[in-house]
Amino acid sequence: MTEYLLLQALNGLIIGLIYALMALGLTLIFSVLKIVNFAHGELYMLGAYFSYYLAKLFGFPPVLAVLSSMIIVFFIGVVIEVLFLRPVYTGAVERKDEYAILITFGLSIFLQNLALFVFGPWTRRSPSFMSGTTSVYSLSISNDRLFVSALAVVFMIATLVIIGRTFMGKGLRAVSQDREAAAIAGINPFKMNLLAFGAGSALAAAGGALIGPIFLIFPTMGAMPVIKSFVIIVLGGMGSIKGCIIASLILGEAESLGSVLFPDLTRGLAYKNAIGLLFLVVVLLVKPTGLFGEKHVRMK
Amino acid sequence: MVLFLAAMALPVALDGYGLHILIIAYYYALLASSWCLLAGYAGQFSFAHAALAAVGAYTSALLVLNTDISPVFSIPIGSVAAAGVGFCIGFLCLRLQGPYLALFTIAFSEIFRIVLNAEYRYTGGNFGLNVPPLFSQESRILYYYTILGILILSLAIMHKIVKSRLGLFFRAVREDEEAAATLGVNVIKYKILAFVITSFFAGLAGGFYAHYVRILTPNIIQLPQMGLIIAMVVIGGIESLAGAVAGALILQLAAEYLRDYEELRWVFFGLLLVITLRFSQNGLIYPIYKRLTKKSEKDHAESD
Repeated sequence: MTEYLLLQALNGLIIGLIYALMALGLTLIFSVLKIVNFAHGELYMLGAYFSYYLAKLFGFPPVLAVLSSMIIVFFIGVVIEVLFLRPVYTGAVERKDEYAILITFGLSIFLQNLALFVFGPWTRRSPSFMSGTTSVYSLSISNDRLFVSALAVVFMIATLVIIGRTFMGKGLRAVSQDREAAAIAGINPFKMNLLAFGAGSALAAAGGALIGPIFLIFPTMGAMPVIKSFVIIVLGGMGSIKGCIIASLILGEAESLGSVLFPDLTRGLAYKNAIGLLFLVVVLLVKPTGLFGEKHVRMK
Repeated sequence: MVLFLAAMALPVALDGYGLHILIIAYYYALLASSWCLLAGYAGQFSFAHAALAAVGAYTSALLVLNTDISPVFSIPIGSVAAAGVGFCIGFLCLRLQGPYLALFTIAFSEIFRIVLNAEYRYTGGNFGLNVPPLFSQESRILYYYTILGILILSLAIMHKIVKSRLGLFFRAVREDEEAAATLGVNVIKYKILAFVITSFFAGLAGGFYAHYVRILTPNIIQLPQMGLIIAMVVIGGIESLAGAVAGALILQLAAEYLRDYEELRWVFFGLLLVITLRFSQNGLIYPIYKRLTKKSEKDHAESD
């Protein structure tokens, strides 16, 4: 039993890392644009499909396929920002919060059905990064999972370095704190919007592309992970990067261990997805700022 | 008036399948118009509307199955149950606005769906729950007039609300909560009231649906269902009950008419939703209707 629990805990960690990648993108978008991107799951799905096709049709090596797919989705994100989200900041729409919710939700319907039409309803699996399994004592875990976790950590650290240590990241942070003040200091907030939405989309795509060889790829694959990312950003505190990473690991573990520790196994599995949602509901009711959020962030 | 007569006379001209499509369209029209009241007028963008319809549907179905009461009574009980859940959501969400409210209501809907799935011993889970019919005769015409009656009555009530002081307070809360509060509007009361009223109509629609379709699965709560309701309201015109109804009818009929295109029609509707939002925030149908009526008024004026 302890072994099984340990294995579950390890699986929870790996899943938590993928969640973290996706939620990090959502956090980046929220902190700069003050928008919850309801189409995030579809960007994740597109990332998985692009990576799959690049590897299968053009023979890209898996890692290169992941990176290229991130770049493609980055530009899709940029296009979405320019076409649909820009009006929020130029004062062209009246009810900004609601507009942003509805338009990203509409985009998610559109992209999901477009994928269903273009790629078909069949499930696919990306080629594996690394075959075989690694055994540590009596625990065995597939190399793919280990490789994916390592890549996820690399992407996360890269994002943190870009945000924390570069001039560009400084600009992003400035805009996330105060749009007008940043503009006065000579930072173009529109450019930062583009960058944040593009990079956030690319992170979602990275999550999807990495999950490709482990789980299955299908047009509605983003529906569940996107809800997990919502849970994470709320639990961690909207807009907090530290909170986002810690909350992802908490959620991954809570789900993996919670379903095992539930007395009735079949119902335990059924309720697995409800654990995180319960977190979300409780956090919103008790402490809407989450674990590390500073204050209630809303669009002005 | 012309529309009403046409709706009354339609069953004569249609076969069973055509009637079925219209019945479903009226069901969506009721959901869409009540969501329009909640989101468009009161400004509460809740994603729990489909779940509230399911509360009405499952309450009514389980009541009939377990206590042998007639659906005629259980459907109103289901609606009241939905209103009760709506009260709870409204009460809990008093502090939540914008994206926070959206996330909360999505989470509520998903939890409810998961519970319905997991407790399959009571709810039938994904296999579905067999629900007794509303009428003992196999007559679509009876169902048709029932839902038409429910829809017209509900619309009349909602129209009355919109035109009354209550509707005015709803809009005041939507535009600026703080300002409304300083002017003496009891914001808490009207926010909760908006949820209670609209949830009642959602539950009513759900209850009827359960006893008409006679098989219930938790899928009626899925997010795409909510997406469909939102698309209907947005395309119809988010600040107009008539627009929402028109949006629901047109989208549902278009979906049937374009059946051969399968996924492509949803791609098209999604695109239409996004484009409508981006370029015409009062919807597509309402402005066209406005323009047409204005034109005809002008024509009248000129001919006079």
